[in-house]
Amino acid sequence: MDPLIPTAYETEDSFLYALSSNAAWAGYKAHQNPKFFPIWLGCSDSRCPETTLLGLQPGDVFVHRNIANLVCATDINTAAVIEYAVAHLRVAHVVLCGHTACGGAIAALGGQRVGGVLDTWLAPLRGLVVGHEAELAELPMDEGGGDGSGSGAGARVRRLVELNVKAGVDVLMANVVVTEAVRERGLQVHGCLFDLASGRVRDLGVGTSAGKGVNGVRGGVVRGKHAELVFRGGGGATMAAR
Amino acid sequence: MVNSRVGTRLLQSLIRPIPRTRLLSTPNLPTPRNASSSSSTPTPQPSSQTRHTSTWRDMAENDITKYLRQTHNRVFEHNKAWAADKKAKDPEFFAKLSAGQNPEYLWIGCSDSRIPAEQITGLEPGDAFVHRNIANLVCNTDLNVMSVIAYAVAHLKVKHIVVCGHYGCGGVKAAMTAKDLGILNPWLRNIRDVYRLHERELDVIADETARYDRLVELNVLEQCRNVIKSASVQQSYAKNKFPIVHGWVFGFHDGLLKDLEIDFEAMLREIQKIYNLTEN
Repeated sequence: MDPLIPTAYETEDSFLYALSSNAAWAGYKAHQNPKFFPIWLGCSDSRCPETTLLGLQPGDVFVHRNIANLVCATDINTAAVIEYAVAHLRVAHVVLCGHTACGGAIAALGGQRVGGVLDTWLAPLRGLVVGHEAELAELPMDEGGGDGSGSGAGARVRRLVELNVKAGVDVLMANVVVTEAVRERGLQVHGCLFDLASGRVRDLGVGTSAGKGVNGVRGGVVRGKHAELVFRGGGGATMAAR
Repeated sequence: MVNSRVGTRLLQSLIRPIPRTRLLSTPNLPTPRNASSSSSTPTPQPSSQTRHTSTWRDMAENDITKYLRQTHNRVFEHNKAWAADKKAKDPEFFAKLSAGQNPEYLWIGCSDSRIPAEQITGLEPGDAFVHRNIANLVCNTDLNVMSVIAYAVAHLKVKHIVVCGHYGCGGVKAAMTAKDLGILNPWLRNIRDVYRLHERELDVIADETARYDRLVELNVLEQCRNVIKSASVQQSYAKNKFPIVHGWVFGFHDGLLKDLEIDFEAMLREIQKIYNLTEN
């Protein structure tokens, strides 16, 4: 074992902490089953650890996370992940999940230059802001109704995040690999929103469940080995342990 | 020589202390029942669907509903206990979580489902900003990952950037397969380039698994170099002495992380001979 491990408990160094904590975890949990279920497309935000918030375990979710969970048709990084997960691993579900108080959405609404490569990356979000200017202007930026640069907990950010998830699902549904898998083996595509304040995931009713709702348990379940995410008609998503 | 370990000690004063109790609180870990059943049971599942629906198919519709409600309730009981525990230890935990993020780490890892960054390191929500892609690649022209690095360094001011690969990486294997993989070609090509850079070392490794394992390590090292080539990392380090870049490899056979022990400052110096973006 690494000589670092014992000392990590004594120091309060977070780098050593991570290594030592990993050692503890490894002692607890042996080899994982390399079986893949859904692919999760989410935000890089540290408050959205997909496996934890879905109550799933290592081996359950194939993951891509980027700034503001953007899905751009010409982004080869995301395209490679989708191709690998859908065509090669044959996942049963694609889950695109945004979250409240998203920093990318707040930046896009701010209208200021962010700097470096970020402005180019956030351009699709700015496009949504331009396209829905009137609707977004009606909504408060902060919870109290103010228009300041607060936590972004207001409805305007939430609405932009919803629009972004819908736009991302549209891009997914236009991806030829996804389209073929939907047609040939019933791949399901979901768009949802994670509410940081309550910890709840809400189905936005877009993607393959659009218009028809999700009826029955089998049709709308993302199954992991130890828990599952159940999508219901009318925008609800709940989690259950097995 | 300043290696990553010494560099980390230098950073200690910048890093917020982590309560030791966190090592003991394991809300994300499975219940012992789940852990033992998943590790002791051989898993010859034909496919995810048949495996998971087999028990469901035998149940009547109302039984399923009842079962779901019960199991659903159990999760919320666990969740309630966990939330109460968190709140008892830190009354402001959830308020802080929804107010904003202040992560110490940027984690660049593989999309592989077996390596959820938070769970294998025991980090909590809010601790690590995460980007995961096929084979944990950092490509200069990929605005996706470059935006993640820029945001994490310039805006979130992360102290550590971890590039974490894993042995037995499917992406690395796919990259070395003589096959046209469509849209995966331009992405995986970067791994072939890593091989070419280290061709002499890799070619002499006779055992195929050992050769792939070494390629996984070399790929992590190359991606660490690519992180250091970015303007945001170079400029932040010149100003703040952080972030420090680390290369780790995760092994499924023992569940442990191997630190490749990058000498960050030496690597930075070497890179800045050609890739200097700090204007000094």
